[in-house]
Amino acid sequence: MKFSSILVTFYALNLSAMTAAAEGKAPFLMDVPHFQEEATSAGIDHRYMGPWEYFVGGGVASFDCNSDRKPDLFLAGGSSAAAFYVNHSPTGGALRFEKTDAGIDPKDLEKVLGAYPLDIDNDRILDLVVLRLGENLVLRGKGGCRFEKANRSLAFEGGREWTTAFAATWEPEQLFPTLAFGNYVDRSAPGTPFGTCAPNVLMRPRPGETADYGEPLSLEPGYCALSMLFTDWNNTGERDLRITNDRQYYRGGQEQLWAVPAARAPKLYSAGQGWKPLTIWGMGIAEADLNGDGRPDYALTSMGDTKLQTLDDDAEEDRPTYRDIAFERQATAHRPYTGSDVKPSTGWHAQFADVNNDTNIDLFIAKGNVEAMPEFASEDPNNLLLGDFDGIFHEEGLAAGLADRARSRGAAVDDFNNDGMLDIVIVNRMAPASLLRNLGARTDWGHRPLGNWTKIALDNGKVNPFAVGAKINVRIGTRTITRTVSVGGGHVSGQAGFVHLGLGVNERAVVRVQWPDGEWSQPYRIFANNHVVIERGATAAKYWLPLDGDAALASRQ
Amino acid sequence: MPHALCRAVAVVLCALAGNPVLAAEPWEERTPEIGQAGPEVSGLLSAEHLARLTSIGEKLFAARFTSLDGNGRPFATQAIVPTRRKHPPAAGEFSRTAGMDANGCSGCHNLPFPGGAGEFVTNVFVSEGFESADFDSTDPQFSNERGTNSLFGAGLIELLAREITEDLHRQRSEARSEAARRGETVRVRLVSKGIDYGFLTVSPDGMVDMRELDGIDMDLVIRPFSQKGVMTSLRQFTVNALNHHHGMEARERFGARWTGTPDFDGDEKPDEISDGDVSALVAWQATLYAPQQAAPQDARWQQMAERGAKAFDTLGCAVCHKPSLPLSSLSFADPGPFDVAGTLNDRQVREPAIYDLNLFAWAKILPRNEKGEVLVPLFGDLKRHVMTDGGRETLGNELMAQRFVDRNIFMTAELWGVASTPPYGHRNDMTTLDEIIRAHGGSGRAASDAYQAAEEVDRQAIIAFLKTLVIGP
Repeated sequence: MKFSSILVTFYALNLSAMTAAAEGKAPFLMDVPHFQEEATSAGIDHRYMGPWEYFVGGGVASFDCNSDRKPDLFLAGGSSAAAFYVNHSPTGGALRFEKTDAGIDPKDLEKVLGAYPLDIDNDRILDLVVLRLGENLVLRGKGGCRFEKANRSLAFEGGREWTTAFAATWEPEQLFPTLAFGNYVDRSAPGTPFGTCAPNVLMRPRPGETADYGEPLSLEPGYCALSMLFTDWNNTGERDLRITNDRQYYRGGQEQLWAVPAARAPKLYSAGQGWKPLTIWGMGIAEADLNGDGRPDYALTSMGDTKLQTLDDDAEEDRPTYRDIAFERQATAHRPYTGSDVKPSTGWHAQFADVNNDTNIDLFIAKGNVEAMPEFASEDPNNLLLGDFDGIFHEEGLAAGLADRARSRGAAVDDFNNDGMLDIVIVNRMAPASLLRNLGARTDWGHRPLGNWTKIALDNGKVNPFAVGAKINVRIGTRTITRTVSVGGGHVSGQAGFVHLGLGVNERAVVRVQWPDGEWSQPYRIFANNHVVIERGATAAKYWLPLDGDAALASRQ
Repeated sequence: MPHALCRAVAVVLCALAGNPVLAAEPWEERTPEIGQAGPEVSGLLSAEHLARLTSIGEKLFAARFTSLDGNGRPFATQAIVPTRRKHPPAAGEFSRTAGMDANGCSGCHNLPFPGGAGEFVTNVFVSEGFESADFDSTDPQFSNERGTNSLFGAGLIELLAREITEDLHRQRSEARSEAARRGETVRVRLVSKGIDYGFLTVSPDGMVDMRELDGIDMDLVIRPFSQKGVMTSLRQFTVNALNHHHGMEARERFGARWTGTPDFDGDEKPDEISDGDVSALVAWQATLYAPQQAAPQDARWQQMAERGAKAFDTLGCAVCHKPSLPLSSLSFADPGPFDVAGTLNDRQVREPAIYDLNLFAWAKILPRNEKGEVLVPLFGDLKRHVMTDGGRETLGNELMAQRFVDRNIFMTAELWGVASTPPYGHRNDMTTLDEIIRAHGGSGRAASDAYQAAEEVDRQAIIAFLKTLVIGP
């Protein structure tokens, strides 16, 4: 960790400038959501535990496993057992979950680092890819939050690696998804752990009517991936594989972007193609189109400052040249924003979402010391960077109630009680998981709802029914806000289900969908504050109604 | 400190200090009633308190807003959602087309009294304010030209709309439960107060198919105001209009909470209209008396009007222009329940204000049915209809849909007070009642044809009847 002391010096020299910049910032005058801790009252009692191998990991999958369209949870446990929790939260009410065994062999729930939901077999029931220290698992969803191990039926070789990243995409003409696994340190290699990162793995489905992953492909070199994401970085419709890597253990490594052309071998983008080497303690990726150019920008968490990458002016369709805009957007989140600990932060899960429903994208970052690294902040609160209309981020974690001291890892920003206001579940290392309910904006008389919202679920048909890879464009006034349906990113944490967008003061919106194969939908007219379902080819959007109440009125406190 | 920051801080300080900043002098060119209602209004208002509030609202309605008040929106368009423009309009801020197009509410709403309708000269040019916001042409490819509507009885209209909306939401919720309970799809006819809004089909999993809805938005919210029926409440209408017509931006939609700045329109007047100011305007409009049927002094007119009332029914006019709708409660809550963020609703405030319309003499004399419900004599159905067909396109003279409502679809005009609000039609371009009746196509075609096929005496009787529907104290 020689770099750490250098880093501390760097920050000491630059903090004053950053602080000055911060002082020159206009105040954030829009709503700050207030989050209330409800894990205990909701029935969630869960910790992510374990020695060195579990310093990383600690993910959560947020997805509907019993077809009631409420996000249920699967929480990684490390050396403790992972756990399924079924969501019984009433619409707009206090959060309520119930632990369930899901029918899985308890041994398969051990050594779990994270998980991602997706429907691998196109049966419209979400499955779960479980990342473990040792054999990875595909748990086939059977409905009713029951699962069965499907490694054998899918010819899926779970491997023996220390798997810490995952992403999936449907490549053109494929019935089943292509799966990518990111591996960490090869603990059996000579000289381990330093310079011994295990290769990553790409699994393309073999031709046929059933999913068969019998021909895995090694992606070398591996640089100790901690997050990966299939992403259409150049807006060509072809999704390449972005990987963020932990410099702590690689030697000569860097961040990676694999070109994954259909039916051809993956190939790393090189410096000659415009890819600039970047070495960080990469731990999480999130993507969002921050500047409205139709191309995703990326948040990369690390130790020290968070990176915010956008395509450089020199970039071209085949030249992925990025520059960092975290400083200009004031999203570096490089040290704790409260408390006396001024050492650099350690960032893990990153997720873009509009948590205050003002139409601007916000950035949540889970923070926490690796274990007891003295060069880094030991009390490291999670970040809530609220975006404004000028594209600047404002740290409001303290006001929002997110400034806890736990060593946070994975997380999911999702709406657990269907009130249109995003809640957060956070997995903490050696500490209870947090379940934070978004109550709305605090006032002197209570809480008031945030801005308008929509939540959109897509139905792509028989293949890839959850439309992984689709882009959702929502037109409000003169603006278009976008989201991409993806599987991957964050820190070993994934989610599936409704895609949430804040609509601010807009009462109506027009939605267009670019389906995973690139085909655009017709425009769909929707009204705010409803759950919308768009079926491919349908002439009108449908609404989904919770059984227990009107979501539009549910946020009454 | 960067210039933009200095300006932002100054604006915030001004906002904190209140507006107007300096104590008002009697000669000041400001509207003194701005701010008089206080920052917000809540709770059940006594008759005295309500009278004071409506008095402020009346004066605000009649005010000629000045630049010192905040009149003007050099960097904002007329759009109902905060929308910036890069430069002030080249031709100046006042414009009879794109707006600002009036100095005060009563500049247009004045027929026969303030709060009423307006004649052709008061037409407004409705555009979204997103693309081509600065149009300077009356060409219909840029805007829809509309006459000014009357607001008399508007409180009752909004209460009816709320009750229908609540009723339809309940029916939808019941269908949802029923589909889940039976495990099969349920198709339910949506009917409230005798008005048929088509069908809703709900699957056991909660999916709702809305393709068979008729005359109502997908969210089943009745939006009773404007010619198209696209505004939920007097509050929403007021906030929209203040920006569009006067460049007076209400804090509850254009304020810092939603735009990041208290001076969105860039005229250096922060928080121009407070929540309380809007409340005062709403209170005055909501308590405007309901138009009534006047008994003609002339015996022949009286006789013909009676005949006309019957013909109005038998010829089919009353299918849409329903003579009355029952209303359960005269308790008007502001903010109301069905507005969404951008217009205050009852979840956004500590406690809504309650205006008891029973306090007003005009409300006490409204007829009631056997259930004790007030029979609101609106001659309307709070439903949208297609008003053209292949053979009759007169009312299809607009080119643009408005807020998801197609160009030839309009809300049934309430006919109470129609005798006091000529000319007619959504463009105010029909000079007689006979002309507008003949222009009905689409859903109104059968009744119009029946009118045209009727004997001359019956046509005259219908006009005689409609001429008794007046706005008057």
